[in-house]
Amino acid sequence: MQAFLAILRYDVEQLTRSWVTRVWILLLVVPALFLVAVAANEKELASETMAAYIAAVLAPFSALAVAVIASSAVSGEASIIADSIMSRSVTRTEYISAKIIARMGFTLAVYLAVMIPFAYLIIRYAAADTSIAGVVAGVLMVALLLAFLAAFGLTMSTLLSNVLMAVLAVLLVIVLSGVVLQFLGLTWMSTTAVIEALPRTFRGQSSSWDVARVIVVFPSLTAASLFTSIWVFRRKDL
Amino acid sequence: MHVILTSDLTKIYEKRYIALNALNLRVEKGSVFGLVGPNGAGKSTTFRILLGLERPTAGHVTVLGEPMTAERADIRRRIGFLPANPSFPRYMTPISYLEFTGSVLGLPGERAKIQLARLLQAVDLTAAASQRIGGFSTGMLTRLGIAAALMNDPELLILDEPTSGLDPAGRKQTIELIRELSGRDRTIIIATHILGDVERVCTDVGIISSGRLIYSGPMAEMWRLARQGTISVEIEGNTAAFEQQIPTLDELGSVRYERLGSEFRITFLGTEPLPEYVERVLQLVDRTGVDLLHINTGADEIEEAFLRRLEEDRTRGFLRAAAWAATQDIARRGASPNGSETSDAGIPGHPAV
Repeated sequence: MQAFLAILRYDVEQLTRSWVTRVWILLLVVPALFLVAVAANEKELASETMAAYIAAVLAPFSALAVAVIASSAVSGEASIIADSIMSRSVTRTEYISAKIIARMGFTLAVYLAVMIPFAYLIIRYAAADTSIAGVVAGVLMVALLLAFLAAFGLTMSTLLSNVLMAVLAVLLVIVLSGVVLQFLGLTWMSTTAVIEALPRTFRGQSSSWDVARVIVVFPSLTAASLFTSIWVFRRKDL
Repeated sequence: MHVILTSDLTKIYEKRYIALNALNLRVEKGSVFGLVGPNGAGKSTTFRILLGLERPTAGHVTVLGEPMTAERADIRRRIGFLPANPSFPRYMTPISYLEFTGSVLGLPGERAKIQLARLLQAVDLTAAASQRIGGFSTGMLTRLGIAAALMNDPELLILDEPTSGLDPAGRKQTIELIRELSGRDRTIIIATHILGDVERVCTDVGIISSGRLIYSGPMAEMWRLARQGTISVEIEGNTAAFEQQIPTLDELGSVRYERLGSEFRITFLGTEPLPEYVERVLQLVDRTGVDLLHINTGADEIEEAFLRRLEEDRTRGFLRAAAWAATQDIARRGASPNGSETSDAGIPGHPAV
């Protein structure tokens, strides 16, 4: 347990020092403040403003940042893992679990730290057309998308030893997923479809089935990704 | 008791490259074992498997009496490891890194702090204790790696090329440190291609070539093999008469020599003990009336013995394979060819390991 906590602390420290994290937070916070000011002055609709922020700012920047943060989790420190960490009294499961919790926890912490104050300020100063349940559902759905992205990045990180290749693989999957899902008749699973439906979700107008579907499917995919990461890492030569 | 025991350890990477070829390694408790071999011989791969960082393709590994796997953190807690060209988090300082190592090893905070302060002094890094590791030289990184390997006061210390990249002073300091660490029930295994280091600190030596252990035995035995039958004499006077009579020193065809100016290097291929041959050479010196300037029975350096073993191994491919098959056959029938012990069969002069 002590080893697990030491690795967790070490990884969170690394993430807080990372330039990717700093730039990511800056790119989320500055437009958020700008939108709050605009929405307050122009009395924009809260649901539309929040959805626009997620579609134009949060989703693209976060996709890129989370792809880098998650995909570099294992592959980014390939030599250090063996030399400094795994040659000590650490099990593979302890190491990968600490990485998963650090990277996914950090991703969700940054998202919620930005999104919750932003949603509060928008609801307070813009033209209120949202329901509490709708906002909670919308924020949760985006959180689940990010969690899946982080889990998928971690899987790529255990599969590929090159960070750049892992990041590219994640981004390629994001780009191609829309086409593939459309071909499979699963358009509702695409990021675009979830984001497009957000104004209605924030207003509480989405059907319970649509919300429940996302809330069940994405955590399942996340769990499958994490299981794969653990399985691969436990069998990998370091 | 064997601290390390491998049986037919084989590692094949991606069905393309054979890194270890049925390696049978045995390291006794309390010994300082030097694993010597050229680059790419399989030394680092052996260590990575011993630590559970890599999985063997075939064969078995026992470390400190337990089978080693990736999940055996409890065994690794008793091992210290210095990798070749160690990598560390660049933003950390030696203090924060050793604290992290202590946490990973499960050391209580206070004990870790005492240990790291002691070790930083021992490896002469106290002055650089607050500097970022990113700016360290190769020598400083190696010394920090040694300190990290000793954080848990390990029973088994595995050092992969501990003196590479060090200046002469750093090298001497490291050798002295290893000497200091040996004994006290601690077993040390050192991989190196610098034979001078092995000569200075090791009690036992193993030669690895192309993933196979081609020699394993006590250092004294290696010295004996190195010096076996070779005498170097430097003379003055009637050297022609001396040279003419060299073949008479032993049975016909069993004496070879080479001349380098006034120095003769005489190799006896017979089985008499070395002092007997030395006496014959001295008698010849007396008989021919030459002046003896220098005589040396250790001229055939350990490097040459090492290279000779490698060469022998290269030229005995099929014979070795046949001998190995025979060994396996005997083992299958329930008896080892050497009674209770096994050896890499087919290697001349190879003692049971």
